[in-house]
Amino acid sequence: MPREIKMPKLSDTMEEGTLNVWRKSEGDPIAKGDILVEIETDKADMEFEAYVAGHLAKILVQAGETVSIGTPIAVVRLRKDTDEDLARFLESRGATPAVAPAASPAAAPEVREAPAPVPAAPAPAPVPAATGSAALPMRMSELPYFVADPDRVRSTPRARAIARDHNVDLSEIAGSGPDGAVLVADVAAYLEALEASTETLQEGDVLATPVAARIADERGLDLSQVKSSGPGGRVTKRDIQRYLEQQAKGVPAREARLYSGEIALSQKRKFLIRNMVESKQSAPHFYISREMDAEPLSAFRTQMKQRGVRVTYTHMILKAAALALSRHPQVNATFQDGRILVYQPINIALAVDVDDELLAPVVKDCAGRSLENLAAASDELIQKARDKKLAPGDYADGTFTISNLGMLGVDRFYAILTPPQSMVLSVGGMRTLPVVDAKGEIRAGRRMDFGLACDHRVVDGARAARFLAELIRVLEEPEQLVAGDDANED
Amino acid sequence: MTRMKTDLSIEWRGTLPYDEALELQMKCVEARRSGAGPDRLLLLEHPAVITLGRSAKPGNLRVSREVLRSRGIAVFEVSRGGDVTYHAPGQLVGYPILDLAALGEADVHRYLRRIEACLVEALAHLGVAARTREGFTGVFASPWDGESAARPRKLASIGVGVRGWVTYHGFALNVDLDLAGFETIVPCGLHDVEMTSLARELGAAAPPDLAVRARMAVADAFRREWA
Repeated sequence: MPREIKMPKLSDTMEEGTLNVWRKSEGDPIAKGDILVEIETDKADMEFEAYVAGHLAKILVQAGETVSIGTPIAVVRLRKDTDEDLARFLESRGATPAVAPAASPAAAPEVREAPAPVPAAPAPAPVPAATGSAALPMRMSELPYFVADPDRVRSTPRARAIARDHNVDLSEIAGSGPDGAVLVADVAAYLEALEASTETLQEGDVLATPVAARIADERGLDLSQVKSSGPGGRVTKRDIQRYLEQQAKGVPAREARLYSGEIALSQKRKFLIRNMVESKQSAPHFYISREMDAEPLSAFRTQMKQRGVRVTYTHMILKAAALALSRHPQVNATFQDGRILVYQPINIALAVDVDDELLAPVVKDCAGRSLENLAAASDELIQKARDKKLAPGDYADGTFTISNLGMLGVDRFYAILTPPQSMVLSVGGMRTLPVVDAKGEIRAGRRMDFGLACDHRVVDGARAARFLAELIRVLEEPEQLVAGDDANED
Repeated sequence: MTRMKTDLSIEWRGTLPYDEALELQMKCVEARRSGAGPDRLLLLEHPAVITLGRSAKPGNLRVSREVLRSRGIAVFEVSRGGDVTYHAPGQLVGYPILDLAALGEADVHRYLRRIEACLVEALAHLGVAARTREGFTGVFASPWDGESAARPRKLASIGVGVRGWVTYHGFALNVDLDLAGFETIVPCGLHDVEMTSLARELGAAAPPDLAVRARMAVADAFRREWA
């Protein structure tokens, strides 16, 4: 039977790897120990060696692609395998043999679901009016606009008179006289060029002078909205200036130039906006933070792994929060209708970022549940969140929230409370830094910061501090996370 | 955590051109794999050179190869993780050749974290507070109070290779070098990172024999960690 080569696991924390270079091609003979492919994860590159001899029958994942661990990346044909064996094997895996070089794209093993397309932002609002500006071979479009006051442009009296008669905006003309004064000849040339540009106009075009057209274009203005006063009913620079002044005074400025588009608000986003505004307006927030020695937790996690139990830091913090809340029930409370109401259950919401959307599924009734039990429950919810399969009930009735930005390189932050909850825990990233140990020696230690935001109507500073201290004590003495589990289990 | 120890051979190799050092590493890797050689930490310096890791993006080289060559800077493409790196005299380069499987820790991420811890510890002994950043391999100077964290200052870059669980490549710690050399690249492909050096962080407090002290401090830290 041919053998499948799978994406190896180079680390406990590795979830996926990138195939950098295939060192062997399809059809190449392979000896044990030959380097098949280079695999990269984070800052490490592994030369992956063949552990069976034979031929490289099929490359399933091409160089440059990233796949999760365990994904088949190639098929090796052993010496005793017949063509039939190989064909049957590949067929059973939905791949075609490499023999036929007919450009059959390698069957993608485990196609990872493409992220749902982000709703397209609506087209940038106003499309600039088309004008015949291109036809004008004039320097005047190089004029700095809005610098010169149209009523103060240097010009000869006759040029001014002609300009007035033809409704010409003098500030659009680069004068050729002394000190840039506009002469009669300049006005005449300007009018001639304008006339010539009319020929390229199309039906429906808004008439505008080239300078006005360029300004409109750059600012994304709809020229049909601008009242014109120029030659032949053209919109001039002065008209645009007036229009913009009015806009600034009246309705919200539609300076389309500032914005490239609009992002449609989802129902969830609208809800979040309402909630966050209400929270900041009605709940007087205060914030405390504390540093944790992460070494015991890190060691504990390794121990658990050696016992075959996979727990993440999120799981352990969830359990610690549940323990601390059950030991400090007064902070698991809310302010409603002028009363402080203490919650019966401990329901912990976990903030999750899915495709740039903030979701916070709630792990219900955390009190008394074992670490493993909470781990399974939270994993299930997070998976549901990623699959966009959360039911409304999955969001409901949170009494406490945990938010974690550590994996994004954030050391410490303070999330906003989700009403009607009165506390939110913000988890920062783990970092290695110099510490002084009990013997007074400097060495590298692991630290992590926790921020806690509280509603002062419900929780006072000292009470919040005792709660946070409890939570961190549990994490620094992580045996507590599993103490009594045996009794509670089953 | 149980940590296996080894008879780590720490070797100062002086200044070695990049390709010669690579050859040396490969020999040491083969020796380690066959059981003929020990676990080692090769410490050395490179003449000015730019290396491109497997995931290097072409845009992260800011100057053409011709210009680099004319400045006496060699360019190598190498089989290590990570993006683009610059080495030059005044930078302490360390290539640990360790059999991770024999050390009971066949885990490349944990290995990266242990290298970081060694460097943080060595730097602390040299009087520089350094730290890691979750999600960004490497060692950074701790921001001083009130400093914006928007542009972290990087002291050491790390990129490793593994062959049959024996490691090669390693780390580059900026001790005292002209940081202008980094301007020819986007270090590690990170645009918001500023490169710094031990000498710069220490300022007037830098001792005249900083290079030797740095070498000793790093050797000590690795010895405590692995030997």
